[in-house]
Amino acid sequence: MGAAVLSFPEQIPASALEASRTLQPSFTLERFAGRLIELSTLGASAASSFTFLLVHQAQRAGEPVAWVLLGEATFYPPDVAAAGIDLNALPIIRVSKSADAGRAATHLLRSGAFGLIVLDLGAESALPTALPVPLQSRLEGLARKHDTAVVCLTRRGAEGGSLGPLISWRGEAHRQSRQGRQWGDLITHRDKRGGSVSRLSVDFNGPLGLDFNAPKGTGEHP
Amino acid sequence: MNAVAEREHLACLELPALPLQLLLERCPELRETPAVIVDVDTPNGRILWVNDAAWAHRIRPGMRYAAALSLNAQLRADVLEPAQLERGARRLTEHLRRFSPRVEPSTEIPGLFFIDASGLERLFGSLMEWGERLLASLLELGFDARLCVGFTRFGTFAATRLLPRLSSPLLLTDPQDEHRRLLSTPLERLGLEPRLCETLHRLGLRHVEAFLALPVDGLQTRFGPAAVELHRRAALQTFEPLRPQPIPPNLWRRLLCEHGETDTTRLLFLVKRLVDQLLTLLAERHEALTELHLQLRLNTRVNAPEEERHTLRPGEPTLDSPVLLDLLRLRMDQLELRAGVVELRVGVVGVRATAEQLRLFRDGPKRDLMAANRALARVRAELGEGAVQRAELREGHLPEARFGFAPLSELRAPEAKTRPPRVLQRRLLAKPLRLKPVPRHLRDDGWVPHDPAAGAVVKLHGPYAISGGWWSQEQSREYHFAETKRGDLLWVYYDRKRRNWYLHGWVE
Repeated sequence: MGAAVLSFPEQIPASALEASRTLQPSFTLERFAGRLIELSTLGASAASSFTFLLVHQAQRAGEPVAWVLLGEATFYPPDVAAAGIDLNALPIIRVSKSADAGRAATHLLRSGAFGLIVLDLGAESALPTALPVPLQSRLEGLARKHDTAVVCLTRRGAEGGSLGPLISWRGEAHRQSRQGRQWGDLITHRDKRGGSVSRLSVDFNGPLGLDFNAPKGTGEHP
Repeated sequence: MNAVAEREHLACLELPALPLQLLLERCPELRETPAVIVDVDTPNGRILWVNDAAWAHRIRPGMRYAAALSLNAQLRADVLEPAQLERGARRLTEHLRRFSPRVEPSTEIPGLFFIDASGLERLFGSLMEWGERLLASLLELGFDARLCVGFTRFGTFAATRLLPRLSSPLLLTDPQDEHRRLLSTPLERLGLEPRLCETLHRLGLRHVEAFLALPVDGLQTRFGPAAVELHRRAALQTFEPLRPQPIPPNLWRRLLCEHGETDTTRLLFLVKRLVDQLLTLLAERHEALTELHLQLRLNTRVNAPEEERHTLRPGEPTLDSPVLLDLLRLRMDQLELRAGVVELRVGVVGVRATAEQLRLFRDGPKRDLMAANRALARVRAELGEGAVQRAELREGHLPEARFGFAPLSELRAPEAKTRPPRVLQRRLLAKPLRLKPVPRHLRDDGWVPHDPAAGAVVKLHGPYAISGGWWSQEQSREYHFAETKRGDLLWVYYDRKRRNWYLHGWVE
């Protein structure tokens, strides 16, 4: 597919293109709307932190968001609230099997009422059967139809590969810190809509109690 | 409002010898020097346009450059590429849109523009005032122009041709006045082919009135199609409504399709996504959509891409997505795509929106919350009543006491904070996991509390003491952030009472 050949022969005013470009930053809900994407990392991860940036964008735009949670490790609601997210408008669907996560996501997607659905696959994401290809195909089709972003949060390293061939965008989110500054690096490994491997850095505040500069025993109360 | 003001007015603007004016704009030093524009930059190049200084030396269009050079050795020549002329005309059209939104550049005569002047007297005081301002603005740019405001295309064109240089605008009072002027216009001023003009002269036909007296039937055989066309135009028998050049979209959005998309319904959904984004942008600029441009690039050969272009105009400027989608659906139902669409672009032209339009746009729900609640009910029916929850913050000291999960009965519209800080998020285990104790004698491996793949702890941040549960089961903990060799940042605590380490979560 010649998706990389982007030049259009017609003349579009440079100012108009420039204006459009400046309104299209790299990590936005707009970019991932209608797509099945995977955000993954093992180790020094910032995957949840980046995902909640998307959740916040969606909520700011008035788009309902749902979080499908598989496994025992939940996000920490006080941190989520500190990130400006409306917890009362964030339904959490707790499931115990990846098949149930797929079924729940299908119900939500089919309604067309959600702008963002997060599939938090937890430890099961490391299994090859975490999201079978037929399910991916169904989710991808529904996401495209209803213009919904479906984010699969997985715990796989770079060598672990993606969940499957129908993942439209795959990236890794790494947490970094140096001299008191903390930031996340988002590395794009695959983007089926054009674009090569790229890196985006976003500064983060540490959670309460995490201050790399603080002398031992003097940190904030967590 | 008098009767004249109520009529539709058409203006004809001519920038005589526009190619030459563009050349003089680029090289102002040629204004006083004999200068010409030739078709090719060789001695045999044919002269197309001549400036006043060259005209004074009897240099005329049609001559070879070498011949003209023999008349004046100082003669300068240049070539104006068609693209340059096109750019110049586009620039002028853009400039003229400041005076009227409907401007049609002539495709036959460079430098000729037809402008819809209807109703502009209300904005500028009078049409004369409008015309004077327009000419003054062009003069400021260094262009010489003539303007006539009248009623018909050919009538205003003929009247413009009779105007002297640097004259004020001519305002024709009524159609009869325009027609009288048209009849008395000399034929050679209408830009006819020189041969036709000469033949008519030989027959003693010098004005439009005499030419119109000729029988139409014989014109084709005697003088050819150009004469027939002239007769039809002069007799005002042609229906030529103004065809204003579309205003180029000022906002674009593009989408690449991973697989060549051939299904028009799916394409409509993709277009809808872009339209919604553009409507949001327009609303932010306090504008409403007046024109929508759709460009579809087909999956044909890379070197010769094919594309479909469509322009849609709603009945009135709108920010209503369903209205536009209805128009798009009607248009796309007619599409017969020869190949899959690999790229689509949507551009919009906006005009200032009314306060009512903006209010309706902002208040209009983007998603159906009732549908969302129905979907959550289906999930509850399938996975159990407790499957759909929401997190809520609670008062407490211990981390697990600071929040809880409650059933979500009804989803409502989100209200996120405007500019919150970006915070690294923690994950929390439902039940803290007991870790291996810190070895008394650390060897090279160090303390590997949890996952061997994560490696040993290389740094501990803390401690942060917390206690709670005084009335039931007292807890006294020392929290640390433990950084492992792999980079994991574990949230661990030491339970003083139980004298054990626990993993409570991690930063992610």
